[in-house]
Amino acid sequence: MKKIVYALMATVTGLVLLFSYRTSTVPESTSALADAPSSDVATVPKTTPSPSASASSGSSSTSSGSSSAQTSSSGLTDGAFTGQAANTRFGPVQVQITVSGGAITDVQVPQYPSESGRDQQINSRALPVLVKETVQAQSAEVDMVSGATYTSTGYRTSLQSALDQARA
Amino acid sequence: MTAAFTVVEPVMGTVASITVVSERTERVERAIAACVARLRDDERVFSTYRDDSDISRLRDEGLELGDVDPRVAEVAADCRDLRERSGGRFDAHWRGWFDPTGYVKGWSTDAATRAFDELLADGEVEAVGVNVGGDMRLRTAATSDHVWRIGIAHPTHEGELLATVEVVDGAVATSGTSERGAHLVDPRTGVHLAGPVSATVIADDLTTADAWATVAAIAGIDDLDWMPVAPVASGIVWEHGRTRRFAGRVEVSAFHDALVG
Repeated sequence: MKKIVYALMATVTGLVLLFSYRTSTVPESTSALADAPSSDVATVPKTTPSPSASASSGSSSTSSGSSSAQTSSSGLTDGAFTGQAANTRFGPVQVQITVSGGAITDVQVPQYPSESGRDQQINSRALPVLVKETVQAQSAEVDMVSGATYTSTGYRTSLQSALDQARA
Repeated sequence: MTAAFTVVEPVMGTVASITVVSERTERVERAIAACVARLRDDERVFSTYRDDSDISRLRDEGLELGDVDPRVAEVAADCRDLRERSGGRFDAHWRGWFDPTGYVKGWSTDAATRAFDELLADGEVEAVGVNVGGDMRLRTAATSDHVWRIGIAHPTHEGELLATVEVVDGAVATSGTSERGAHLVDPRTGVHLAGPVSATVIADDLTTADAWATVAAIAGIDDLDWMPVAPVASGIVWEHGRTRRFAGRVEVSAFHDALVG
């Protein structure tokens, strides 16, 4: 249980920092949230640990750490933890953190503001997930590669070219 | 799931990789041909490398927008709008004449991908992705659970990825400096960006993603002021080893770094 509390605190901290970041441009109403102490559960949304699969359809790449419940010296339990949606000036924001090997490996925003119903579909998508430096494209199992525009010559040695050859 | 196949065609000085998740039927082949034909026809109209393109004639022969292909006027209106919304970070007129090169590729790819509309609607094609020189439009049939897994190339470590992102229906575009001499010029100053800098934007369509990826790269990592007004879903900016990520007009990297650190 203690481990879960640590994870909750981490998520809560994440939310508070999110608000803090925004207060540079937001006056009155939201800054009240940012000023709230992290122990004040009345103003900071409660957090429920949940399996990552249910939280975001696009987050499967970060869920590897969630199957095994290990705890390291950092006190963080491996897994994915989702905060309840918090209302900001920009609409509801919900934060999910992924802990792997005791470190927070990713922060995602499964739900975030939108102006129209059409945005809702794209909003269910995850953020770009940072890849560990050692990961090569070939082992990342991607369908396509986005990068600064290559010339016809540059294409030949590009990652996209390697993928295309495999699927020609 | 149906296997995917890829067709590669040179276009616009780069290469289009069209990946289709479907059987390779005659109907699918016709759609691929139509897609490539649209890209090439837009190149004919907009290429600044061809003296006989509508864009070159507009510049060299003193023609008015009404005298050339109507697509030019459409793109010109879009570019004016983008210049305003981006606070001048995007400007197709920075050279003193109308050069929408930084806009046309994404816009044309969206238009070309419409060749698959019917096939996606009736489910003959499960999904199609059109990657033109590193910027792509991704489509998935409503009946399919296909998810596109996209790698974002590392700007300086050749052969490695910086990040991955999963997209069902939308677009991914990356702008930046690269070792192979991709140029980025700040239209506000005319200065070539030294880099290395790379910005990737995910949006509903490639017209939007491509244009705002250019804006993000020009702005650089210390300027996300454009982000709250951009109609984009998410993105990542990389410069000199630092990264910032955002989604839904909120930056998330800031507290991520604070938590990890």
